Amino acid sequence: MKRASDFRFKHGYLIHQIFVVTLTTLSAIVILTPVVWMINAAMRPIKEVLTYPPQLDPSQLTFEYMASLIENELYRGYFVNSSIIALSTLTIVIVLGLLAAYGFSRFKMAGGRIMLLGIMALLMLPTVTLIVPYFRLAHLAGLYDTRLGLIIVNSAFILPICIWLLKGYMDAIPVDLEEAAMIDGCTRLQALQKILVPLAVPGIVGTGTFAFIFAWNEFLLAVTLTDTPDAQPLTIGLAAFFGQFVRDWNSIMALSTITSIPLMIIFVLFQRWVVQGMTSGAVK
Amino acid sequence: MRDEGTSPAAAPATGQETMIGERTATGPGRPRRLPWRQMNGYYFVGPAILFFLFVSIFPLLRTIQMSLVDVEAGVPSFVGIRHYANLVQDPWFWNSLSNVLTFTVSSVILHISMGMGLALLLNEEWFNTTLRNFMRGLLILPWVFSTASSGLMWTLLYHPFGLLNYMWVGLLGQEAPIEFLAKPGLAMASVVAVNTWKSYPFYMIIILGGLQAIPAEIYEAAKVDGANAWKRFWHVTLPQLRPILIAISTIDIITTVGHVDLIRMLTRGGPLRSTETVAYYIYKTALLDGNLGYGAAVSTLMLIMLAILIILYLRVLSQGDEAGETSF
Repeated sequence: MKRASDFRFKHGYLIHQIFVVTLTTLSAIVILTPVVWMINAAMRPIKEVLTYPPQLDPSQLTFEYMASLIENELYRGYFVNSSIIALSTLTIVIVLGLLAAYGFSRFKMAGGRIMLLGIMALLMLPTVTLIVPYFRLAHLAGLYDTRLGLIIVNSAFILPICIWLLKGYMDAIPVDLEEAAMIDGCTRLQALQKILVPLAVPGIVGTGTFAFIFAWNEFLLAVTLTDTPDAQPLTIGLAAFFGQFVRDWNSIMALSTITSIPLMIIFVLFQRWVVQGMTSGAVK
Repeated sequence: MRDEGTSPAAAPATGQETMIGERTATGPGRPRRLPWRQMNGYYFVGPAILFFLFVSIFPLLRTIQMSLVDVEAGVPSFVGIRHYANLVQDPWFWNSLSNVLTFTVSSVILHISMGMGLALLLNEEWFNTTLRNFMRGLLILPWVFSTASSGLMWTLLYHPFGLLNYMWVGLLGQEAPIEFLAKPGLAMASVVAVNTWKSYPFYMIIILGGLQAIPAEIYEAAKVDGANAWKRFWHVTLPQLRPILIAISTIDIITTVGHVDLIRMLTRGGPLRSTETVAYYIYKTALLDGNLGYGAAVSTLMLIMLAILIILYLRVLSQGDEAGETSF
């Protein structure tokens, strides 16, 4: 890569371009192999997954395994749970996050800096250090094995990064716009609603995508706080399925693919804003 | 809100005064803050802070309290520091501590070097921006998958009849397949490989953001002075990225130390407990063996170690703030 830049001077633009594009493409191919392999295994006719040499013939593909999983009520239940948990978590963290980010970005408060540092510290708090009290408290509060319990604790771990990302966005929006609106007779809440939120939409979308992916993929809290398929999300379903049908790689990979499809769709749609949010957060 | 009572005409006048005062107090480069009714900020941050108090801070204190109590007997009884005394003599705790050290150091080095390499490639001049953005999307993709899915993908690749062993046995003509996840020495390396694959995109994107923020003039000046690509990387890129690299290595250390799900999916701590990290040990003692008090003691110890790291990091961050490195 460094040599490539030298080539640009000595041998011109073309060699540099070929070098950069080839190296990136090769990396991408190596990096995406596990994903392609998962999807391939999910659609192979039975027993073809673990054969020498590996089968890649596209005319043989079948949707049988994915279809039978979608028809299975147990797995539909996991899917519904994951959706409810991820969407509710997303709503909570965006609402609380927007308000807090606005407060930190636009007001000078006594103790504001301490609170921000505290949120920074919470951002880095590993989930595993709280599973013991959560397990106990969820039993005491009657939230064990409920989706509500999972939504609350998921939110606690996602909210700090949301506040941080959203604050970064709001800091970048000039205050003058709100001042103007408030001089024109808007209340502060109206100014927030009509001026700031529309301007912060890319930030909200990026942060929201981040929060959704996080909540959808959460595993440790779910394994700690749930016990039955009534409240368990897909990640637990996946682990349970793997434990139960160790040899049925077609179905395991089919379920794994189904679990990942919503994420891949969301990511393709919102990638730009997620990347924007993460890079602007870094520059600060 | 109380603002509704404020006369719109009076607001800008008081605003200007506070603004000037604030400027001199906090120095340049700060975002301007709305001047009216400074106290109202608490209405906005209040809900989030209350939420944290109940759902994060209170359980955090409970962790410490539970580590001093034996709860599995049904009736909680105070046992003082007995759990900690046992902990010091517990060879499996020391085993998990040495495992997490290997796991974290190798993961962090690999995340950052891989993220750096790919970010540098993406930051080069591309003849086609769409292609570059497409490649960036593909390279981020592993980050999107859940640890559960990634664990299963790699278990299939690592399988004695999987793709990697097909290459090893089928293409390289070796005798026996490699037991990636079942050989004590190799299992940790296999887990680190999956963790690297899963997490490098996050660091790649942050480094890319940092690279894009380095002013082009510095590179131009370095070129004029005759610095080659390697020297430019070493004397311009790395020093400019320093604050970001400090930040992401701290965040990465803490995230990696906390991984349970990855190990749960791939090895369950085995073989011979060679991939059992402190985090997995907490999960195992507290949830699988039902020894909540002991699990809480390990958690508290982990919290103390991480708190030291976090405080050091926040120190660096505040110093950077004074020096104008970050605007946090």
